Amino acid sequence: MAISVFNPADISPRQVANKSEKKALLDAIRMTLGVQSAAVRRNTQTFNRNRYVATGLLADYNELKDRARQIKEQSIANLPQLLRQLEESVHANGGHFYLAKTAADANEYIREVLLRHKAKLVVKGKSITSEETKLNHALEAAGISVAETDLAEFILQVADEQPSHIIAPALHYSRERITALFKRTFTTDLPLDSGEELTKFAREKLREQFIAADAGISGANLIAADSGSIMLVESEGNIRMTTTLPPLHIAIAGIEKVVPSRTDFGVFLELLPASGTGQPLTSYVSILHPPLKAPTFAAPGKEAANGREFHLVLIDNGRSRMRDDPVLHEALYCIRCSACLNSCANFETVGGHAFGGETYSGGIGGSWEAGTGTLSNARFSELCTACSRCVPNCPVRIDIPWLNENLRQRMNQAQGSSPVKFLFGGMTGSAPEDCVAPLQKQFFGNYDAFGKWGTRFASLANASMHLPGSRSVMQSAFGIDRRRALPAFPKKTWERLYDEEKGAKQSPLQPGVVMLADVFTNYGSPERGMAAIHVLRAIGLDVMLSPAMPDGRAAMSQGMMETARRQARAIAPMLRRYLDDGRKIVVLEPSVLAMLRFDFKHLLDGDGTQALLAQNSFEPLEYLWEVAKQQRLDLAQTFPASRCPHGTRLFYHSHCQQRTCNSASQTVEVLRAAGFDVVTSSVECCGMAGSFGYKRDYYELSMAVGEDLFAQVRRADQEGGPRTLVASGTSCHEQLSAGMGRQVFHPAELLMSTLK
Amino acid sequence: MLQVAAQVSLIEQFTDSAIKAVATVEVIDRSPAILRDATLRAVGDAQRILYAPPHDLPVALFSELVKDPRVVAEATPDEMVHSAAGVTEAFAGVARTGSVCVDVSYERTGMVSLLAPLQIAVVAAETIVPQPRDLFRADMLDGKGLTRDFVFVTGPSATADMGPLVRGVHGPHKLHIIVLR
Repeated sequence: MAISVFNPADISPRQVANKSEKKALLDAIRMTLGVQSAAVRRNTQTFNRNRYVATGLLADYNELKDRARQIKEQSIANLPQLLRQLEESVHANGGHFYLAKTAADANEYIREVLLRHKAKLVVKGKSITSEETKLNHALEAAGISVAETDLAEFILQVADEQPSHIIAPALHYSRERITALFKRTFTTDLPLDSGEELTKFAREKLREQFIAADAGISGANLIAADSGSIMLVESEGNIRMTTTLPPLHIAIAGIEKVVPSRTDFGVFLELLPASGTGQPLTSYVSILHPPLKAPTFAAPGKEAANGREFHLVLIDNGRSRMRDDPVLHEALYCIRCSACLNSCANFETVGGHAFGGETYSGGIGGSWEAGTGTLSNARFSELCTACSRCVPNCPVRIDIPWLNENLRQRMNQAQGSSPVKFLFGGMTGSAPEDCVAPLQKQFFGNYDAFGKWGTRFASLANASMHLPGSRSVMQSAFGIDRRRALPAFPKKTWERLYDEEKGAKQSPLQPGVVMLADVFTNYGSPERGMAAIHVLRAIGLDVMLSPAMPDGRAAMSQGMMETARRQARAIAPMLRRYLDDGRKIVVLEPSVLAMLRFDFKHLLDGDGTQALLAQNSFEPLEYLWEVAKQQRLDLAQTFPASRCPHGTRLFYHSHCQQRTCNSASQTVEVLRAAGFDVVTSSVECCGMAGSFGYKRDYYELSMAVGEDLFAQVRRADQEGGPRTLVASGTSCHEQLSAGMGRQVFHPAELLMSTLK
Repeated sequence: MLQVAAQVSLIEQFTDSAIKAVATVEVIDRSPAILRDATLRAVGDAQRILYAPPHDLPVALFSELVKDPRVVAEATPDEMVHSAAGVTEAFAGVARTGSVCVDVSYERTGMVSLLAPLQIAVVAAETIVPQPRDLFRADMLDGKGLTRDFVFVTGPSATADMGPLVRGVHGPHKLHIIVLR
């Protein structure tokens, strides 16, 4: 069926839920940008702000995360034993236990139980797992009515849409759209034009269902093997109704929800709401080991049931396969809090109907769709730019970008090879395993090769970009959006500029720092690299430059994992030699710093080099600030802001990966100590994210993400006129200058401009 | 002496947190008449008050309250769903979150604390623990949190699914907590 691409409102979320075809992904982006973006932004960004506050109030947040990770690692490792123990516990409590191999198996079991009870009406609490199994369809086909009682699920049931968010499945709906939907669906004279009225309307409808229901179906946030206890987190009270009123209670959950003991609940109880909605606790957290002993509720005019019955239905549906998968097993640690969704700039802009599949969404969603379905269902994980903002916010420390980069590799491999791809890959430096990757991916993944040629033949390369038709070729061959300004290649690389300043060159054996000539700075913005060298020298440091070598970042971001691994294994020993000489490593480009700090742990052999590199690598102004503090330097004297020709009023946007490295706040400290007046951005990512914003398919999304940042600049400009724009990352420079049409400086360039 | 001071500060922290969670709190002395008066003040002109007898607190503490003709201990199903307030005990409180822990495993405590628009929870000051996780420790509250079916109740029911934040969804619209000194 052809999908209209002209009016975004004509595309229904269900039509584009399955994104195994690229067109569905692109249509979904267009639809969400046109219809859902404002509501998604408002709701996810509220969760995001609240989470920072709530986790900040947990005095031992990091210890809790370590403990949670440990419990999940052990649970998944011991899963078969835990499941056997759990089965015994549930039986001992007087409940029934069923382990379903597939979604259909689970649905069939539940259907049988309900038919045995002659159940006509089931009330249901929110269960994303039951969305995965499409339980409602199975029950309705058997003539059983299902009432979704979570208000978000109620909206989705009325609208026939898939969830767009794991804890707030209808957050893509604005109040106005809900009013319109209800008015369309229900016959009512009520105005329904406020949240209170809509809630009251739904509550009254559902209260009747709760009272009349024959059975209740809930999910489970956690399940304890030692006691058969389940933890249920909610705010509306519908799960309490579902588990309390009907005589029959069925809980459905994935096998990964099992932890060894009820004592483990304490750790997750505090982490989950804080990481999700950003509340210390939600209104209701039920801790039950059903069946409840309390008497059942008899609806007015109905006879009371003879005791309660409980069934725990656990589903595998691909999870055992995930458990055996060297990469995907980490996704099983997910406690479904949504922190990775809410801290993701792309997700905040389009939500789970674009950045998601039929059930699961966001950064973690690709692994779940691939794990419980097929690899092609994970295509939407292309929207993960590996900005890494989810990583420090994940309560179980899942390296979500790593999962997505590996999914990308598998999808590259699934595409199959072609002679053109192989020829191109061979010329540009792809590892043979990665030559199957599409041309666009190999183009961006081998940035160093293009940088080398581009700078060597800079005038020719730059001039060719202005030839008629050249941008069409770039767009059609590599998918580079023609609306993006391509950075001009400098005539001299950073290495060359450094060599030309021979007088200042120092002995490599004298302890000090070595700046890594990262490929982005070396071939893209050598003047920023030189500025950083001058600034570090200004406080008396001995600075030298390493040879330029690719670090694996560009390749990894395209899913070219073998190329990345080779590059990491080549650059690491080179850097290690500087460490052995007693130098510290300073890295200008934050995405490369993040490689050394985090990503090399996946790419290097465990000889201790990664830990050494991680501990001894710094962002330039981070290092400068450490030295200034230790030696009590007066930065206002070394870098007097008043001497800066670009003014003293700054707007500073730190790089996403720089913040994940905890290497951003020091830049602000340095600039303020020098006398600058600094306003900072509060967006998670600028939206450019390396190659992402250059790609034709994602240009609109990238600019829409950037709009949050641009709006913050405009707000800061309102008082006292335009501020000088400052950013630490190469892509942030491109994005800010594209959005604001103004020059953007690196902090080191500003500091250098104050030197005599 | 030190213990008393620590308990006073837990009550204060509990009260602050509960108010932040949009509950109301009254701290009273432990007597049947005072408890009756505090409860009736909180319910205002409610016509019917559901009541579930306590298992942890002494039943005698509620002896004055149950004399009020509006208080119903054995409600019919119809009364269950059409009452203005429900009173139960809570076997624990949590200082950091202002939560009360209501045991839902016996009698109709679960329904009484859920079905009426106003929920009243009575909690003894000495059962207030510092953090939610303390309910999962064997050395706190005699390990009750490890064996019971219970609910952490933190404020009234709420939702943001219909756009703005709305309090009062399927569960109670208001939570009033009476702390017994």
